[in-house]
Amino acid sequence: MSTPARRRLMRDFKRLQEDPPTGVSGAPTDNNIMIWNAVIFGPHDTPFEDGTFKLTIEFTEEYPNKPPTVRFVSHMFHPNVYADGGICLDILQNRWSPTYDVSAILTSIQSLLSDPNPNSPANSMAAQLYKENRREYEKRVKACVEQSFID
Amino acid sequence: MSEKFELSGEQTHQEGQINQDELILQQQRQIQQEISESTPLVGELESISSLNAEYSSDEVYLQKIKDLASKYKFVRRTRPDGNCFFRGFSYGYIEKLLSNKDEFKTFYTLAENSKSSLVELGFPQFTVEDFYDTFMEVLKRISDMPTLEESKRELHQLFNEQGYSDYMVVYLRLLTSGQLQREKDFYSCFIEGDRTVIDFCHQEVEPMYKESDHIHIMAACSAMNTGVRVVYMDRGNNKQVTEHDLPEGSTPYVHLLYRPGHYDILYPN
Repeated sequence: MSTPARRRLMRDFKRLQEDPPTGVSGAPTDNNIMIWNAVIFGPHDTPFEDGTFKLTIEFTEEYPNKPPTVRFVSHMFHPNVYADGGICLDILQNRWSPTYDVSAILTSIQSLLSDPNPNSPANSMAAQLYKENRREYEKRVKACVEQSFID
Repeated sequence: MSEKFELSGEQTHQEGQINQDELILQQQRQIQQEISESTPLVGELESISSLNAEYSSDEVYLQKIKDLASKYKFVRRTRPDGNCFFRGFSYGYIEKLLSNKDEFKTFYTLAENSKSSLVELGFPQFTVEDFYDTFMEVLKRISDMPTLEESKRELHQLFNEQGYSDYMVVYLRLLTSGQLQREKDFYSCFIEGDRTVIDFCHQEVEPMYKESDHIHIMAACSAMNTGVRVVYMDRGNNKQVTEHDLPEGSTPYVHLLYRPGHYDILYPN
């Protein structure tokens, strides 16, 4: 059955294929348009460079009026990513706007990798190292990057 | 500053880094579900005295309902989901326009031109289009009905279909946001704290389920080129309900009943 959410997700997918933003990709899973797999490539000139990080995006019938649940499947070490892969990002919570689409979500997460917000930590260790010991932070992130090749 | 940070870090550790955001969202979803199971998005016409049932032993309210009944015939309830102003206002406005073909046509043209002006303001065309198309489809379906009665029935039906109804709300929220941004010098005086108009729009106007205040109503009226009378009914000491016309001095086209935290539609005598 075609619902507004499903219709909109088809549009989002079409746009992602026709006009793909650099460094991100995503597609619905084979038998369910409400669950997507996505990949974000670590942005250049950041410790995440060269990493290929996998995510899942789960939509409800209330999309795009409510945000989807986005989660990293790849192991991450980042101030705003929880141990379970959940992401602490304002546009996925209280600043969600129905004008965002999948492409906007993925590019926002990509820029969160470049610019973490250590004042709103989901991983307090990562936030602390980011602020106080950048070298150790980068070492731990690079370990995630290497892990992401194997995953 | 750094001490404070370490403290909160400690706390997060103790809680085993539970994903708090999701717990909060989950609870919000549950509350919203309970509300939606008990109230339609937009209800049928009810007599003003039907409000008495909610205040059986509250003299202040009962007195005010009496006053309200001397000015208004009916009330139409909307679902209290944070979208009630936008849903009630758009329903009431379109319903009223239906009885005047010329006014409806003028509004239809205004709506037709609204997408390009949002895109000019920097709204993403791709997603705005999705809401715009539905908004126009609803206007068209309603006005294509052969009789006024059928138009009203179609309006009522579409506004009670979640998919259509919510898209109407979203598009009106976007139009309101656009209006605030277009006249940001004026509206910035009404925003508390050091938020910019754009921040305010992103946090309080565009997201669904965010409640509306004066500033939303003024901008929404401006965007739709109309006026609203908001009739306040609260536990204040005066015996009568208070009326506010927004924008000030305008001729009210839609009448809304405001009780703290919620808007319903009113129909004058």
